[in-house]
Amino acid sequence: MNKEIDALIKDFYGHDYILSEELATSVFLLKNLEKPLLLEGNPGVGKTVLAKTLAAHLHTHLIRLQCYEGLDVNTTIYEWNYQKQLLHIKLFEQERDKQALGNKIFGMDYVLKRPLLQSISAEKPVVLLIDEIDRADEEFEAYLLELLSDFQISIPELGTIRAVSKPMVVLTSNRTRELSDALRRRCLYHWVDFPSKAKEIDIIAKKLPDIDEQLASQVVTFIHNLRKSSLHKPPGIAESLDWAKTLLLMNAAHITDELVHNTIGSVLKHKDDIEFVRNKKVQEFLVPIP
Amino acid sequence: MVQVNKTFKERLIDFTFYCRERQFVLGPQETRDAFEIAERGYLLDRKLFQYSLKAIFCKRKEHFDRFDEMFDRFWSRYYEDKLEQRKTALKQPKKDPDTATVIFLGAQFQIPRPPEQKQEAKQTVGANESIRLRMTDFSKVEVTDRERLEELAEELFHQMSMRFKRRLENANKGAIDIRRTVRHGIDKGGLLLDLAHKKKRKEKRKVVFILDVSGSMDTYSYYLLRYVLVLKKYFKSLEFFTFSTQLTHVTPLLRANNEQRILKQIGKEVHSWSSGTKIGESLTEFLSVYGSKFLSQKHIVVILSDGLETGSVVQLREAVRTIRRRCKTLVWLNPLKGMKGYRPIQKGIVNVMPHLDAFESAHNLDSLLKLEKVLMDV
Repeated sequence: MNKEIDALIKDFYGHDYILSEELATSVFLLKNLEKPLLLEGNPGVGKTVLAKTLAAHLHTHLIRLQCYEGLDVNTTIYEWNYQKQLLHIKLFEQERDKQALGNKIFGMDYVLKRPLLQSISAEKPVVLLIDEIDRADEEFEAYLLELLSDFQISIPELGTIRAVSKPMVVLTSNRTRELSDALRRRCLYHWVDFPSKAKEIDIIAKKLPDIDEQLASQVVTFIHNLRKSSLHKPPGIAESLDWAKTLLLMNAAHITDELVHNTIGSVLKHKDDIEFVRNKKVQEFLVPIP
Repeated sequence: MVQVNKTFKERLIDFTFYCRERQFVLGPQETRDAFEIAERGYLLDRKLFQYSLKAIFCKRKEHFDRFDEMFDRFWSRYYEDKLEQRKTALKQPKKDPDTATVIFLGAQFQIPRPPEQKQEAKQTVGANESIRLRMTDFSKVEVTDRERLEELAEELFHQMSMRFKRRLENANKGAIDIRRTVRHGIDKGGLLLDLAHKKKRKEKRKVVFILDVSGSMDTYSYYLLRYVLVLKKYFKSLEFFTFSTQLTHVTPLLRANNEQRILKQIGKEVHSWSSGTKIGESLTEFLSVYGSKFLSQKHIVVILSDGLETGSVVQLREAVRTIRRRCKTLVWLNPLKGMKGYRPIQKGIVNVMPHLDAFESAHNLDSLLKLEKVLMDV
């Protein structure tokens, strides 16, 4: 592979994030082609952490926009500082040149910058994380299009504001709804899948250096077999780590039925899923993965 | 920067067409990006070139899953031979073996791999080709058309899913919300500059699908099932049953996110396929076991069957009548209706017709897409 990509993988590893070659290539392109990167995948596979690690890798700030239904321009791009505007009007009530007064209060000094505007106003490129974009409304996706393709934002009273420095944009989605083709077209795309057994053991070993190799292997085998079952919410890497941490705290040497019964809550978050596992023998989930 | 020769550029454009033909949504920007990465020298490293193109060309998971195989099929020769040798090699293409993708209810839905040369020559899917496939009865689709039908179905179902969503979502703005309007006005010195609107409640429908999976209905059930899987998120509740001689509740199998895994699992779990059809008995069982739970005046019931009853017709009529009484709407899909000269004169169908709200065909992609209207209008 390319030397720069190898260096990227190594540096991310230093920040406790294990990148696959494929994902590393996407991150490499994000840096070089200056296009946003859309990451889709199940919850808990490390999409958000990737953006955080990227910021650490680039020694820059991370600006995070957590999406939710009802998100609008005022909370994401800009808002007028109404109090300041009113105060200014009061102070200069006697001003004869009303035109100038009007121009003044609709200047950049009276704008409250929200995450998206902040990200393009920064002197040094920042990492902009638009997290769980699938939770936002379709209208919000439309607001984003201008930023994602041209790195600029249009404010009716001020005109177009171009990026001082182009941010590295990472969008994540859990696929709870389909994103529009217009948004997808503007991004590089990567589907973040659950890791292979070996990679997941590596992740656990990296995050929890004290863990016994055999226990880590058992945890991963168990989790991989769980993912094959029809669960409401299959466990992600975050859950594997939580469980491994729990077992480590309990000084467990290997997984037993009793341990599973008592600690499965840190892996599964749905009543039916928990009952499903409790009704089975632990050995059924420790079948070696081909 | 690396000097990219004309032959390679042509090949790269060929690949863009090849992907477009397989429902990848690629415009000039993607082609430009592909050229840029080639000029940056990424093409010298096969993996780097593959992963870079993958990040640029794929826009959704379905593309992502298929890309590597497509890339290998298209580019392996380039990386194995020199460009000069490629032209002669193209004249004698290797024949790839067929591989099955999904085994559904015992029937294999294969993705055939036509020779590469043929695919390269045929760079775009003509509109007529798509229309022909949309109109072709599922059971009469040629083996060579299966792959195209699969891709077309995937694309059309995706488009329909987007349409469905837009139609389901009422306009967000309802009546003016005085309380929120006044509250928003506080930070503007009491001026009511922005009006706040109440949100309309989005109402989702509850649907029960009962599919006949007896021998002759396999293919139709397969496509209807795929159709339903695309729509499942737009319904408040979606229940799924299959029957031939016995009824099986397959909703729990729909939990997985992977469509292919769902289809495979249903194929594995349902054992009564290709066994004759006892519609009346199965519907009666549905009523007695699941009726109280899944039937109400909010439920739409959709039955897919050819109506060729081998059991008691009286029992069938009574079951259908009861279901109709206890649900909001009853729709019967009969693939035979799509056949030329079909008349509903079979005993089973004659007996149930008076109790149906809609009697539709579901024999090809076109009729499945029309079903969208039936599901929305009810």
